[in-house]
Amino acid sequence: MKKVSNLIKAFSFLGKASVMVMMLFFILAIIPSLLTSHSPYIPSGGALTPPSTLHWMGTDDLGIDLWAQICHGARSSLIVGFGTAFLAAGGGSLIGILGGYYGGKLDGCLMRSIDLMMVVPELPTMIVLGAFFGPSKMNIIIVLSLFSWTRPARIVRSKILSIKEEKYVKVAEGYGGGFSYLARRHFLPQVFPLIMVNFIKLISRAIVAEASLSFLGLGDPTSKSWGLILNHAMSFRGIYFTDFWKWWIIFPLLCIVLMVLAISLISKEIENLLC
Amino acid sequence: MIKKALLEVKNLEVDYPYGTEKITAVREVSFTIEEGNVLGIIGESGSGKTSIALALMGLHDKAVETNGEILYNDEYLHTLSEKALNKYRWRDIAIVFQNHLDVLNPVMTIREQILEAIKKHLNLGKKEMDKKIKELLKMVHLEEKWCHAYPHQLSGGMRQKVLIAMSLACDPKLLIVDEPTTALDAISKEEILQLLEGLHKNKKFAMLLISHDMYVIQRLSNKIMVMYEGRVLEEGVTKDVLENPMHVYTRGLLDASLDINPYQDLWGIPEGNKDEETAGCIFQERCYQKKESCREKIPELQYVSLERKVACNRGGIITLLEGRHIHKTYGDGRNPIIACNNCSIKVRSGEIVALIGQSGSGKTTLATILSGLLEEDGGEVLFDEKSVLGNNFTSRKKGIQIIFQDPFSATNGGFTVEEIVKEPLDILKSDTKEEKNRMVKKALEEVQLPITKDFLQRKCSSLSGGQRQRLAIARGLVMEPKLLIADEISSMLDPSTKANVLRLLKGLQNKFGFAMLYITHDLALARKISNKVYIMYQGNIIEEGSACEVFEKPQSDYGKRLLGV
Repeated sequence: MKKVSNLIKAFSFLGKASVMVMMLFFILAIIPSLLTSHSPYIPSGGALTPPSTLHWMGTDDLGIDLWAQICHGARSSLIVGFGTAFLAAGGGSLIGILGGYYGGKLDGCLMRSIDLMMVVPELPTMIVLGAFFGPSKMNIIIVLSLFSWTRPARIVRSKILSIKEEKYVKVAEGYGGGFSYLARRHFLPQVFPLIMVNFIKLISRAIVAEASLSFLGLGDPTSKSWGLILNHAMSFRGIYFTDFWKWWIIFPLLCIVLMVLAISLISKEIENLLC
Repeated sequence: MIKKALLEVKNLEVDYPYGTEKITAVREVSFTIEEGNVLGIIGESGSGKTSIALALMGLHDKAVETNGEILYNDEYLHTLSEKALNKYRWRDIAIVFQNHLDVLNPVMTIREQILEAIKKHLNLGKKEMDKKIKELLKMVHLEEKWCHAYPHQLSGGMRQKVLIAMSLACDPKLLIVDEPTTALDAISKEEILQLLEGLHKNKKFAMLLISHDMYVIQRLSNKIMVMYEGRVLEEGVTKDVLENPMHVYTRGLLDASLDINPYQDLWGIPEGNKDEETAGCIFQERCYQKKESCREKIPELQYVSLERKVACNRGGIITLLEGRHIHKTYGDGRNPIIACNNCSIKVRSGEIVALIGQSGSGKTTLATILSGLLEEDGGEVLFDEKSVLGNNFTSRKKGIQIIFQDPFSATNGGFTVEEIVKEPLDILKSDTKEEKNRMVKKALEEVQLPITKDFLQRKCSSLSGGQRQRLAIARGLVMEPKLLIADEISSMLDPSTKANVLRLLKGLQNKFGFAMLYITHDLALARKISNKVYIMYQGNIIEEGSACEVFEKPQSDYGKRLLGV
């Protein structure tokens, strides 16, 4: 924990601001019902009312409060983003370390399966899998992870391949250090920044991907994720000819952009400090 | 032809009284001197050399206890009375005393002193005596005018000559020469040596030569006896012993001798701590191949080869690492690169072996195979007579450690100084935390790095190459290796850092006595530090031998080309 706070202290102003923004989003995700008195599911005012003191961000076509939707949507967006990133970056890194360290047949098998994953068209498969498993947050996370682990795995593997040849690894092997020791002391600390950067990129990617899956009706329709709000708004016919987009599209979009921007700024800071 | 034994000494013991106790200066010393032969006795100060000489002459004080048999020409000297002994003294056995100013009587002239010896033992007339003195002076190349000088008017070399002249007064058959050249300058030393050589050739007397100077022994003796604390540790033909010492102590003496060992730095035999009196081998405190059993068992002087005896429980210097017919090929079957072809190499305990050769000659491959980190295609590697397989010797204390060329690759930049040095201990999980910290600090002190808390927590990436190389050495040292393989460790360092690192390593080697296999393409360096040299060329070991031999007279064509001979 101390390390994390030290790291954040070393951030630049932009980095610190990004952390602040992320923390705000986290607060939204944790206690949405305390921040808004309106329900995200039931209409609480007139349809398509512009932002006012009663409805801070206005309402959608059904008269549901947009601020309430965004507050509740933050949780599902963050869960999907972080969940996918954890699973994909963690699993991918482990596979990369295993393949890079052991080499040989294991490495061959892992690399070929990565190749396989890369040639499979992503979206159609995701749609099929999404439809097959049924729409739920858990399934979305699994499906997204399934297509996201290849990048971190390849990057980590290539790094491990070069670290493996370093003499200090040979020396540690000479002292009797096994795979778990080497992974813990030598590999992970060095690939950690790479994993971090990938992790954070994956978060934004997953948030966007979740939005697209939601758009296709494969998202969890009960959870008001930001992607769902956005898709809902965009499917409103002729929205750009009206003023409605000024709140209905801008606010969720702003949230997605802000979050992705904050995440990428943090990833850049981490990259600068750790790599 | 076997010459007749002139003097035979059996189980000689000399004890000096010291208060109520006694101090044993000579223990169980036995030797024989044949007619016309020269036996050299060598050893550090206080090893009992002079006590033997005095015992042979029967010159010890009454209080000094001498035991054992001294057989001279079938006569037991030790049984004789003082009077009977006098018959032999000077006439048969004469001694050239160690050259001190007070050996000669300061108030007697040179002539009077020589005369004294003649008068006592020879019945000569005055004229004959004069003649004899002149003869003797001529014999030792001393001008006659010095006859009437007093000892203090003579130089050290001249006094030594007077002492020799005195001892030769009665044409003895056995001459005991005690430290003939100590405190003499190079020219006088050479003069005395030539004189003794010449006299020995002409007079054909046998000689017992006592010296701590290897060069003197090498020049004059044909057999040698190495003494330590009153015991004989090694015995053999001088040439063989000097070329291939079999006892750790003998090798230490040779390494400390400038004349025998002109290129290397000088290092004495490290002092051991003599706190506890143990019953076993007397050399064990300073020995680095000792075993537990050495504490109890007194080694006997035994034959290890023809005309060579060594008193060591382990049978002399042991072979620590042996690579037999090592073979290694890289690449595929169609296009093989033979990195090692039938390479055999031996490293004895406490020895520095240099493996030299140009880049790509397979040195590093061989070294990595020897350490066990690389598997050989053929052949076997033995460490302490057990096979080296994988990391079975690098992963334990008192085994093999390897130090690599590139310190930046050998130490993880993300680790702190403490973590680097502690790593092997962490992996072994054998010591407590406090113990580990203590060992880390000790190792860092050994390699002359600071041990402040601040430094211990510093990231390794903030250190210089020389510091990181020392760190790598410290990491090797916490494992207390018996063999250190150093692979071009100095080639990436600047000359000053290189000198520091090497001096450090050599000092540590001398202190802990580990053996070292030093791989280098730097010839001057190899000559400076190594005892033995192997030359590698295109995967083959084409030349091996002692450093002096190989550098002065390489046998192979490539060796000649490489060394520019």
